[in-house]
Amino acid sequence: MELLPQYLANGLVTGSFYALSALGLTLILGLMRVVNFAHGELYMLGGVMGWWATTRLGLDFFTGLLLVAVVMAAFGWLVDRLLIERIRDQGEEPGILLTIGLSIFLANTALLVVGTAPLKVEAPLSAGPVFFGDIVLTKLRLFAMGVCAVLIFAAWLLIHKTRLGRAMRATFQDPMAAQLAGVRTANVYAATFAMGTVIASMAGMLLGSIYSAQVSIGGLVSMKAFVVVILGGMGSFAGAICGGLLLGVVEALWGGYVATGSVDIIGFALVILTLVFRPYGLFSKRAERA
Amino acid sequence: MRKWMQMLGLAGVVVVASMGAQAQEAVKIGVIQPLTGSVAYNGLAFVAGAKLAVEQRNAAAGVLGRKVELVIEDGQCRPANSVNAAEKLVQRDKVVALTGAFCSSATAAVMPVAEKYKVPLLTGVSSKADLTEKGMQYFFRSAETDRLMSKTFSKILAEKLQLKTVAYIGVNDDWGRGGVEDFSKDLEALGVKTVLKEYFDHGATDFYTLLTKLRASKADGVFVAAETQDGSILVKQFKEFGINTKIFGVGSWATADFIGLTGDASEGIYAAVPYASSLPGERNKAFVEKYSAANKEKPGKYGAAGYNAMNIMMDAIARAGKAEPLAIRDALRQTDYAAPNGRYRFTEKGEGYGFDVVLVQITNKEPRVVAQSQTEKP
Repeated sequence: MELLPQYLANGLVTGSFYALSALGLTLILGLMRVVNFAHGELYMLGGVMGWWATTRLGLDFFTGLLLVAVVMAAFGWLVDRLLIERIRDQGEEPGILLTIGLSIFLANTALLVVGTAPLKVEAPLSAGPVFFGDIVLTKLRLFAMGVCAVLIFAAWLLIHKTRLGRAMRATFQDPMAAQLAGVRTANVYAATFAMGTVIASMAGMLLGSIYSAQVSIGGLVSMKAFVVVILGGMGSFAGAICGGLLLGVVEALWGGYVATGSVDIIGFALVILTLVFRPYGLFSKRAERA
Repeated sequence: MRKWMQMLGLAGVVVVASMGAQAQEAVKIGVIQPLTGSVAYNGLAFVAGAKLAVEQRNAAAGVLGRKVELVIEDGQCRPANSVNAAEKLVQRDKVVALTGAFCSSATAAVMPVAEKYKVPLLTGVSSKADLTEKGMQYFFRSAETDRLMSKTFSKILAEKLQLKTVAYIGVNDDWGRGGVEDFSKDLEALGVKTVLKEYFDHGATDFYTLLTKLRASKADGVFVAAETQDGSILVKQFKEFGINTKIFGVGSWATADFIGLTGDASEGIYAAVPYASSLPGERNKAFVEKYSAANKEKPGKYGAAGYNAMNIMMDAIARAGKAEPLAIRDALRQTDYAAPNGRYRFTEKGEGYGFDVVLVQITNKEPRVVAQSQTEKP
C-alpha cells in the first residue's frame, strides 16, 4: 500500500499526457464530425519536426514549439482545403477512408525521409528526479503537465470566448444558418482542422522531449486517443481531461498491482464497458454536442 | 537524408541486379531483410555490412573468377512477404543461395521454401532457439541464440556484479520472454534470487509504474531484454527515477544510436552482445575502418552480422568450386571462417559456434569490452 501514492502520481502524469494527445482528436470529431485516423501521424510529425528544429536547426525548445505550431497550422489548413473539403457532406465513410490513407502516406513519407531510428527532442529542462516525500517525479514531467494544462485551457478559451470560436460553434450547429449570417464556413472548417493539427503536433513535440520521437508511433497514439475520446464523449473538454486521467490512473494501478505486460487490456475493457452502459461517453451531455 | 540516400542506393542495386540478369556473368546471392517497418533500421545495417563484404570480394577478383551480385528484397520481417521474396529470388533471379530474413518468424517461413528448391539459406540474425531443430537440410545460422548468451555470461555476470537478487524486465514477445526465462534460470542455478519479472509491450513509452515496482523490490541488479527504441527510453527513465541499480541486458545496446539517445543515462550499463566495434584484434580494426568509411557510423551487431553472413556464403561458393546450390550447401558445412569476432563453424544441424561473444560496459559513451568468451559447440 505504501506504493499507492507513487502509482497515483504516475497515473496522473501519463493521464494528463493522454488528455492532451486526445484533445485534437475529440475537437475535430465533435465539431467537424470527421473521424481523424491520421491523428497519431500528426502527433508524430510534431515530434519529428521538434527533433529537426531543436537538433538540426539548433533552436531552443520554445522557439521550436512555436515553429512547429505555425508550420503544422498551415499544414492542417491545407489538408482541409485540399482534401477534406472535397468529401464534406458525403457521410462518414469517405472521411474515414481519406484519413486512413493520409495516415499511411504521412507515416511512410516520414519513414523515407528521416528513417526508423528514435529521434531525440532537446528538452527545456533537465530530467533529474524531484522528491515529494516518497513520490518521485521529474521537473520535466511537472513542466509538461503545466504545458498540458495551459494548452487545454487556451483551446477552451479559443472555442468559448473568441469570435472565431463562436463562428466554429455556429457553423457546426447549422452550416446553412451560419453562412446566411455571414460566416465564411470554408475558413471555419479549415481553422478547426488546423487547430486540431496544431494541438496534436504540439503534444507530439512536448512528449517527444520526455520520451523520444518515433516515426512508427502514430498508430499507438491514435489508439489511446480513441480510448480517451470514447470514455469522455466526443467534443467534450471535460471528457477529454477526465477520460485521459481515468485511463492513466487505471493503467498505473493495473500495472502496479496486476502486471505491466497486460496493461493495454484495461483501456479497451473500459471502452467496451462504456459503450455498453454509457454509449455517449461518461461526460457528454447530448445537448452540448453540436 | 542519409537514410534516404541509402534507400536510393538499395533501389539502385535492385535495378542493377535485374539488368545483370541477361549477362549471366555474376554469381547471384539473394538477401531478404526488412527494409521498411519497425525493424528496418536494423535490417538496413545488415544490408550495409553485406554490401561491404561483397565490395571487398569483388575488388579482389570475386569468387570463381566471377563477380558477386546481391539481389536485395524487402521481407518486412513478415512471414508472407519474406516467402514471396524468397520465391521471387529463386524463381526469377535464379540466385544460388539465400540469406535472411531477420525476424525468427519470417525466417521460419522461408526455410521450407529453401528446402523445396534445394537452395541453401543462411541467417545471420534470427535467434529463436528451435530454428535449427527442425531437421532442415539447407538451413544454417551464423547468429547467437539467447540460450548461448545466457550460458556464456550468467556466471561472469553473477561474479563480476556480485549479484544476490535480480529483477527481470523484458519486451512482451517471444524473444523478450525467452531472454528473461533463459537468464533467470541460469542465474537462479548460481544462487541468484529472482525478485521481479515484468514485461512491457512494444512501443510502450512510460515505465514509471514498472520502475516503482522495481524500486520496491530492492534488487541488486536489473536484467533488461529490449531493442534500441524501447530500451533507450527505459534506461533514460531509470536515471530520471533515481534508480542506481546495476543494469545489464541483451538486445542492440552497445550501439552509437543507443548511447546518443540515452546520453549520460547509459553510463555504466552492461550489455551482452555478439559483437562490439571495440573488440581487440587486427581483423576487427580493419573491418571497423572500412565500415565506418562507407557508412559514417561504427558497425553494430547487425552490420557485423551482414558482413559475416555474406563472407561465409562467398567462402562456401569458392570452396564448392562451382556456383551450384547443392555444392554450396555441402561446402557451407565445412565452414571455418575467420571473422572480426572469432572463428565461425557449423554443427551438423547448421548451428553456428566458435565465434566470440562479449560483455561490454558503456563508459565515456563508448562500449568497452569487459569480458570476451568463445561460444562452445552446443
